[in-house]
Amino acid sequence: MKQIRALIAEDEPILAYTLLQMLQRLWPDLHVAGVVENGIAAVTEALAQRPDVLFLDIKMPGKTGLEAAQELAEEWPDDAPFPLIVFVTAYDEYAVQAFEHAAADYVVKPTSDARFAKTVERLKARLEQHTEHDAELQRIVDQLRTLVPGVPQASSAGERLTIIRAGIGNQVRMIPVADVHYLEATDKYVNVVTADGEALIRTSLKELLPQLDGSQFWQIHRGTVVNIAYVEAAVRDDTGKLSLKLRGRERMLPVSRVYAHLFRQM
Amino acid sequence: MNQAITTSRHPYPLLRRFLIDVAITQVFNFIIALLLTFVVRLHSTFVVNLVVSVCIGTLAVTFIDGGRLLIWGDRRPPRLPFILLMLVSAPAAHYFGTLLASPLLGIPVESLDAARGRNATAMLIGTTLSFVFIIWFFWNRANLAQLAAEAEAEKARAAAIERQAMQAQLQMLQAQIEPHMLFNTLANLQGLIAADPPRAQHMLDQLIQYLRATLSSSRADKTSLAHEFSLMDAYLGLMKVRMGSRLAYRLDLPDALVNEMVPPMLMQPLVENAIKHGLEPKIDGGAITIRAERDGSTLRLTVVDTGLGLNGGKDSAPHDGSSVHVGLSNICERLQALYGERATLTLQPNTPSGVIAQLTIPL
Repeated sequence: MKQIRALIAEDEPILAYTLLQMLQRLWPDLHVAGVVENGIAAVTEALAQRPDVLFLDIKMPGKTGLEAAQELAEEWPDDAPFPLIVFVTAYDEYAVQAFEHAAADYVVKPTSDARFAKTVERLKARLEQHTEHDAELQRIVDQLRTLVPGVPQASSAGERLTIIRAGIGNQVRMIPVADVHYLEATDKYVNVVTADGEALIRTSLKELLPQLDGSQFWQIHRGTVVNIAYVEAAVRDDTGKLSLKLRGRERMLPVSRVYAHLFRQM
Repeated sequence: MNQAITTSRHPYPLLRRFLIDVAITQVFNFIIALLLTFVVRLHSTFVVNLVVSVCIGTLAVTFIDGGRLLIWGDRRPPRLPFILLMLVSAPAAHYFGTLLASPLLGIPVESLDAARGRNATAMLIGTTLSFVFIIWFFWNRANLAQLAAEAEAEKARAAAIERQAMQAQLQMLQAQIEPHMLFNTLANLQGLIAADPPRAQHMLDQLIQYLRATLSSSRADKTSLAHEFSLMDAYLGLMKVRMGSRLAYRLDLPDALVNEMVPPMLMQPLVENAIKHGLEPKIDGGAITIRAERDGSTLRLTVVDTGLGLNGGKDSAPHDGSSVHVGLSNICERLQALYGERATLTLQPNTPSGVIAQLTIPL
């Protein structure tokens, strides 16, 4: 039988060590393939190691556990089973309620051997079921939809953005928000794409999102927000991947698994 | 208490009151003279009536109001003695007023009386009515002043109570132990107990010191800088165990300032902000330096970190930005209530990254 492998993402070294010790005590067959200390390393290591079980601390520098899980759900390759994710959190009533609600696996620190043993049993049972590799991914996508809070919307028209000011050379171009086809996050910038061309602005997508009209601008990927008025169709290719066809545009915009449900037929 | 409040406004509050009352009386005197001339139709000119009215009225207010203020001060006079005072004052004012007016007008007293005698009944009713009206007016005025003073005192008392309650509440808020921090620390302890008992013992000592200092701070008005620094030392010691090599810290308290008394928990929120929003979310972590310095008659308290900086925290989590704001505005409100304009709190960006938070309070 293939050995079960785990990855631990926890920023506090003693807590990572404690979790490691507990796993060695209660699940001696499990091989812990690595311990990482921040959310960014959690994503890269998980994609590189493809563990069967992933322990994700919620509060980590770089990326929170939830952000890391969302990014993994989007980036995970089709040919490998998605890992079982166990969220790890310190006492926080809100978070615990959210996990209960989303039916997600979670561990509250500090935890006892007796409680942790139950988590281990549940994980073992799920691993033995040999569910289809898509099922676990679908599960986490559904959970994330409940767990990740929606983008807060600008409460008044005054806070809503109507014009995007983009610096090009020595001039500032005024781009009406309604003319924007889509917004695409690059490293530190956002690329604003219109019929006339593209412009880079130095604001993050995260800062921009709450200022946009949520009924008009839909997030379709971690780094892409599309103006739904310019979307002609959602197309599914042979491998099941969903992408959007925009009016008068050759390039298709990929829709991540997390947002695919927005484009199901009525 | 009422008197204390009134006294503070004017050097001679009773004299001021009396002069105002005399001035008001002159208005009544003028009206009475008008009535006597054109309504009662005494056989004397308006000028004569006015002079007589002024003389009688001024004497009346001197006797009644002056007597009241001299005997009872600003307090409400007891009813019966006050009425007695009026009964004596009214005829006296009438008699001496006429006596005073006669040489002023160059008319003998007998002629003045004769002029009035022709319409004696109307004269009697008029004089009585004016007295009753004027007395009623001043009686009410005394009551109103009393009520106003009481209302003002009540308002001042309510404001003082509110201020105290707000102070206590702000202090309690700042002395709160976050459950998240507490349980994370306990989880670390749980791991250390098995792996490294001496270190676990040390961490437990620090946790006890932190809890004790935090809880006692919510009750004290003032605490020594040494105590404040030992609280921050315990907190940073706990965070150091948790964050490991990601956190370095230094506390710098000169011996001369050890016994200086300060309001409790003023710096602690700045340190917690630096950890929570600056260093904990930063992948490489960083350092925090805490300093106390004397600058003339001012105490300068500084918390410097090399974390994500003022905007760094806001970018990664929008709702965290507002909690920094609440913590800081709590400090500002406490400083304002304790020292007014003599205390300041400033936040500046540190180079290359992080925040310099500085508090100044008078020594």
